[in-house]
Amino acid sequence: MTQAFAITLNALSLYAVALVLGAAFAAQLVLKELPCPLCLLQRLQFAVLAIGPILNLRFGPRSSHYALSLLAAVAGAAFSTRQVLLHIMPGDAGYGTALFGYHYYSWALIGFAVAIVLLAAILLFDRQFEPDAATAQAAPNIAMSAVWLVIGLTGLNVVSTLLECGFGACADNPTVYELLKRGS
Amino acid sequence: MEFTALFLAVTIVMLVAWRGPRSLALAMYAAVLLAAVATYLHHATDTLKLSF
Repeated sequence: MTQAFAITLNALSLYAVALVLGAAFAAQLVLKELPCPLCLLQRLQFAVLAIGPILNLRFGPRSSHYALSLLAAVAGAAFSTRQVLLHIMPGDAGYGTALFGYHYYSWALIGFAVAIVLLAAILLFDRQFEPDAATAQAAPNIAMSAVWLVIGLTGLNVVSTLLECGFGACADNPTVYELLKRGS
Repeated sequence: MEFTALFLAVTIVMLVAWRGPRSLALAMYAAVLLAAVATYLHHATDTLKLSF
């Protein structure tokens, strides 16, 4: 795997994170279901997952950058596992609406597990860590737009969580946007 | 409020990773990860009714 190909894969991984963050937003707005604190933590870990690829696009692929994403994925898997266990007992309806048969935290656990496997797989290719002439130029446009897309979606979550939680602690089972409630 | 701060911190880390010094991005990443784990421990107070 050349460094140029690794950079393309890193850009694509940022689009995958953007897809997850966008889907979470779509579910929140379309289904009018507010994310719980554990749900927000899982969403946060998907955003943290993107920091490794951003560093790879800026400074070139390094094993330490992949390690950052691995740590984020492991933490995210732990957070989602806890929520799966909270609702694992028979008769428990789970939190929120199921999507294609699984709740969002189950999908999150699958997503973090896939990320861990893919990160381990990409670390198998040592040639990406040797600079080549093709990557001496600045990050391609596809990478730049991916970075700004992920940064924008994470920034939107700043606004969304402020509206949802207000200036106090976030409710365990939120049903209304605290800031909008106070304003009305 | 804690989640607004966390998402804001991650946004800033991303901007630093894309435009700022690498060492600062790494240090801020570590701080954000620790803060996320601390927030998780703060919220994970329900007892899991499970036996292994």
